[in-house]
Order: sequence, then C-alpha cells, then structure tokens
Amino acid sequence: MIQKSDDVIVRTVARSLMPFILIYGLYVVMHGHYSPGGGFQGGVILAAGFVLLTVTQGIERTRQHMSQKTACVISSVGLLIYAGIGALCLILGGRYLDYGRLSQLLQVDQPTARSLGILGVEIGVALGVMAVMCIIFFSIFAADETE
Amino acid sequence: MEVTLLIEATENAFRILEEARSHAAGIMDTTIELMAEEHRIIEEKKVRAIFTGARRRRARFQNFAGTACILFVFWVLLSGHFDLFHLTLGGLCAAFVAYFFHDLLFVNVRVGDIRTVVWRFIRYIPWLLGQILIANMHVAALVLRPKMPIRPRIITFKTKLETDISRVTLANSITLTPGTVTIDIREGEFYVHALSHLVAEELYGGEMEDRVAHIFMEGDHLYVQDVLDASRIYETLGV
Amino acid sequence: MNTFFLLIGIGMCVLVLGCLFRVTYGPTILNRAAGISAVGTKTLVILMIIGVLHGRIEMFVDISMVYALLNFVGCIVLAKYLERAGDI
Repeated sequence: MIQKSDDVIVRTVARSLMPFILIYGLYVVMHGHYSPGGGFQGGVILAAGFVLLTVTQGIERTRQHMSQKTACVISSVGLLIYAGIGALCLILGGRYLDYGRLSQLLQVDQPTARSLGILGVEIGVALGVMAVMCIIFFSIFAADETE
Repeated sequence: MEVTLLIEATENAFRILEEARSHAAGIMDTTIELMAEEHRIIEEKKVRAIFTGARRRRARFQNFAGTACILFVFWVLLSGHFDLFHLTLGGLCAAFVAYFFHDLLFVNVRVGDIRTVVWRFIRYIPWLLGQILIANMHVAALVLRPKMPIRPRIITFKTKLETDISRVTLANSITLTPGTVTIDIREGEFYVHALSHLVAEELYGGEMEDRVAHIFMEGDHLYVQDVLDASRIYETLGV
Repeated sequence: MNTFFLLIGIGMCVLVLGCLFRVTYGPTILNRAAGISAVGTKTLVILMIIGVLHGRIEMFVDISMVYALLNFVGCIVLAKYLERAGDI
C-alpha cells in the first residue's frame, strides 16, 4: 500500500506537473512521424505520469483517475483500435495494416490516408502500452494490500 | 349570599377559561412561529445547496478552462506545426487531459481568480531571473576567491503564507536562487541552507515572500477579494 | 563555434566523472542518490550539446525532456523507497 508523500513540496510539484506530463506523452504519440517517439514511447511517458501520481498522492487518489478496471478496459480498447484498423484494411481489400486502402473510406488521397492510419494505430498502441504499464505497476504495489 | 357565591364562581370559571384560551393562543402562536422557522431553514438550505452546486460547477469549469488553455499553449510550444490539423489535434488533446485532470493543476483557487494568478505569476518570473543572476555573481565571486569565505548555516523562519501552492512556489524560488536550498517545510516553518551571511540576510528581508504572497493574493489581498466575492454571491442569489 | 560547444561537452563529461566517483564510493545510499540525480542533470546538457553539434536541436530537446522526466520520476521513487526502507 502506497501512502501519499508527507512532503508538501514533492506532493504539490508532482500534482501540478502531471497534466504537462500527459500532454507531453500525447505530443510524442501524435508527432511520431516528425520527431523521435511513437506509440510505445508515448505510452510509457503517460504511464510514468501515473506512476508519479501514485507515488506522491497515494494509491487511493490515483484510483479516482485510473483504477485497475479502467486500465483493463483501456488496454482492450487500445488493442481494439490497433486490430480494428488492421482488419478494416483487410476488409477493404488490402493486406493487414495496408493503410492506403483507407483512402476509399476517408475520401482523401493515399498519402494522407496512410498518415491518418499510422496515427490511429499509434494511438491504439499508446493506450495499450499505458494501460498495461499501469496494470503492472498497480499489481506489484497493491499486492501487499489484498493479502 | 348564595347568589354572590354563584356569581363569584361563575367569574372564576370565566377567568380560568380566559386564561386557558390565552395559553392556547400562545401555544398556537409559538407553533406557527416554529413552523415558519423550520420552513425558512429548509428554504435556506435549499438555496445554499443550489448555490454551492452552482459554485462547484463553476469552479470546475474555470479549472477546466484554465488548464486547457495552459496545456494548449504548452502543446504549441512543443509542436511547432501551425497547420490546422495539428492545432486541432492539440486542442483535442488539451481538452481531453483537462477534462480528466482538471483538479490537479489548480486546487482551491477561488472562482474568477485564475487569470489574475497566472498573469501575476508570469510577471514574477523576470524578477526571479534577475535575482538569480545577482545571486549567481555573488556565489561565483565567493567560490572563485582562493580563501573561499563561505559560512554555511541552516536558517529557519516562520512564513506568513498559508496555502500549499504558495509555500511551494516560495520554496522552489529559494532553491533556484544560487546559494540557498530549501531543505524542508514543516508546519509553516522553512528550513533553508544558506551559503553565506549575505544571502541569509536577503532571505530574512522577506521581499521574495511578499512577492509570492502578492501572486496568490494572500495577506491583505485576501480580504478585499473575499468582500468582492460576497457581493457577487448576493447578486447571484438576488437577495 | 562547434569547437566551443565540443569543449563544453568534454568539460561536462569530466564533471560527470566527478559525480560518478560519488556514486561509486559514496559512504551512504543518500550520497549515491544525489550523485545519480546530478549525473542526470549533466546528461541533459550533454544531450543538448550533441544536438547542437549535429544540427538537430529540435529532436534532442524532445529526448532530453523525456530524460529529465524519467530522472525526476526515478529520483522520487528512489526517495520513496528509501523513506520506507530506512537508511542503508
């Protein structure tokens, strides 16, 4: 069981840093094709934000934002997005994750469709990675609580 | 004789009846008053519930809007792409994060204060940078002298700041200034490690504390702001 | 200008060695933690200088921000662990 930190500086700084960490993680996810980053890295940054929140605010406060159940749902949704886009390309007559085929559906030209498809897949990967990292962290640190 | 007795008895009976009536009237009056009181209290409670609900919702919206604006500015700074697609993406991400985490960045900020706080905070930064520059020169002069005339000490002082966020701002400002490091804040008492006599004296002067108090509207500003807030409350209620 | 940055980078690397000494031979675990944190901040500056030398500063700013974030989180987690475990 992780208690909240008793130092006011650490608690307050971590609390006000948390939204910036999340927006930075989302930035890394969304700009994966211009700068270093992508789904996995962005997901890990998002998860680091939740780890920071848990360590400083206590696990009870973190549960208001991200409980074990929510994490399970989000990881499934992430996988669904990834597999769904892949299967959509399959249905539209291409290969698995053949983004060019999405141009028929989105009414845009092929390169834009590829870019959007990659973006969607990266969002899915990021959600999955973030949720699974959170689940691992919660499982490790909530172990002594359930016994 | 008997007639007078009868008359007296009748008068007595009338008097007793009169008293009983007045008693009953009194009791009735008190009952009515109590009922009116109870009714009024219930009404007041209802009004207060409506008002606090509205206030909480308004505060939540303010937190949401403030967080979203700051996050969007941060996104634009990071991104550097100014086409419509990326700006829309940034706006969506900022709104998303702000919706789920609106209670993290601003806590216990009164309704309508966010803009003032942010603006004052931005104006505080240049002063802090200047202070850091001066202290940097001082510390460099101290440590580059061969004799190194430093005199480290731990000083404590009681602060007048009340909220967590203002205390943390002061502590981080002290730590950012070379030569002084905040070690701990315990029950309103700062424990600061100072490198020399001069920086310690500057801390005791308390200019930084005053400025931080000014940012977060503590001290004198608090009361003025509360009065303004109360007038706004009555306006909203229509009392 | 590039040689200037190169010299600053080499100087930073030497300073990292100084911090590494504290990490290796620190008498207590707290000295080691402070040393690791200092190495982290120096690595940030070295990353920036590498970015300037390669002419891709915008890419290295992103990397160094992630590094700073992970350094911060790691430091807090380490401090939390030490708080629970006591001085080793």
